[in-house]
Amino acid sequence: MRSEKWSLTQEAFNGLLASLAPDRDVAARRYLEVRKNLVRLFEWRGCSTPEEYADEAINRCAKKIGEGEQIRDVATYCIGIARMLLLEMSRERPKEARSLDQAPEPHTLPTEPGTDPERGVECLRRCLTELSPENRDLILNYYQGDKGEKIKNRKGLTELFGIPANTLRMRALRLREKLQLCAENCIRQPETMPS
Amino acid sequence: MLLVKYLLGDLSEDEQVRVEDRAFADADYRRALDAAEADLIDAYVRGELLPVERRAFERRFLISPQRRKKVAFARDLAIVAAEAKAAESETFIRLSAWQTLVRFVRGWNPALQFAAGLAALIVVAGASLLAFQYAGMRSRVAVLETQRHNLETRTEELQRQLGEEQARAGNLAAEVRQQQTAGVTPPQSLIASLLLLPGLSRSESRREQLVLNPSTQIAHIEIQLEPRDDYPRFRAELRTIGGDEVLIRGNLPRRAATSGYTVSVDVPASALAMGQYELALKGILNDQSLQDIGYYYFSVQKQ
Repeated sequence: MRSEKWSLTQEAFNGLLASLAPDRDVAARRYLEVRKNLVRLFEWRGCSTPEEYADEAINRCAKKIGEGEQIRDVATYCIGIARMLLLEMSRERPKEARSLDQAPEPHTLPTEPGTDPERGVECLRRCLTELSPENRDLILNYYQGDKGEKIKNRKGLTELFGIPANTLRMRALRLREKLQLCAENCIRQPETMPS
Repeated sequence: MLLVKYLLGDLSEDEQVRVEDRAFADADYRRALDAAEADLIDAYVRGELLPVERRAFERRFLISPQRRKKVAFARDLAIVAAEAKAAESETFIRLSAWQTLVRFVRGWNPALQFAAGLAALIVVAGASLLAFQYAGMRSRVAVLETQRHNLETRTEELQRQLGEEQARAGNLAAEVRQQQTAGVTPPQSLIASLLLLPGLSRSESRREQLVLNPSTQIAHIEIQLEPRDDYPRFRAELRTIGGDEVLIRGNLPRRAATSGYTVSVDVPASALAMGQYELALKGILNDQSLQDIGYYYFSVQKQ
């Protein structure tokens, strides 16, 4: 992938946006959506730098458009390019990595350099106080306990709130994402850290 | 299970492409994939994955900064959730159903709280109205029950009175029978009546009978007129069959009756002996002259 030295120019980017939609604002929204999906795809596939790979896929698409290629569905075309990149990645990986079975097993989660593991917990506690009591109870109970206890807790929550299990699952996921975003913002702002 | 296999890289290329294409086309499926990823991360931080799953997970999830953040967050969430559970266990807090409801309602937005409050108010008002109507119905039922009881009492009273009257009537009938058996005669009328009709009564061959009881004081004789007997006044002359004059009544008016006009004359019973009698009826003209109308014959019987 790194062999490609072509970089995205303003003219090529304008061409890409024009291919996404005639209106520039609409095109910008679609560009962000395409990029988000590409990041998701590379993340799902276990890529170490999903955003870089997503940008590379977009650059290759823009280059094709700049070369005069008519692309009817830019989003699908970009996904196709991404899969080609994934193939390239899979060919390169054996050269870079050792056998998985031979690799050392990490027993603890590697921490990001310059971060305090306790900070995340403190920020999460703070973010939980910003939730409504109902939502706080829901997410703490939903993710509480081991396998059997967790299943029992979730069944109790569906009965308590009177909603199907899948609806409860989606509600808990939304709360989890909201909490994670809150906690990450909290971690990035050390001056607002609770004592 | 398919989604977990996908996330752990345990599917073929074609299978991976199918999962991804569906995820891009179907937002619900994509969210299900996100949820499966969250559960998988939780299982990892809680040490619930099998060794082979854990190795696959670490290969896929711990190499990108974004996913490492997710794993770090899952670890923090597990810690905080465990703390919450421990706090509950230490303080033995058991939320009652009411407290849960209150907390649940407090979590709603103000509009929903207002709507819920209004609904609760309507329910309370409805229950009160029902209770009021129920009390009113019970009161009406009590009144109707009292009326029914009174009617039953009244019916019983009437039946009792009817029984008494029937018994009294029976006694009276028995007394009458006893009196008849003992030869007691019922009270006799003071007036004896005789109706004399035109035609037969005017002939000697057919004689009416006037029965006089010992108690009879007056014999009331009524003579039926014919339409042609149109006189202002009448005169009646009563004689025995032998010609002895018994009674004369003049200036008698006629009276309208059901079957025409009649003239009546009252004779003291004491003036009548047993025997045959002739009654001569005459019309009085305006010049006081007399016109014979007819002669009536009857006999007197005394008991």
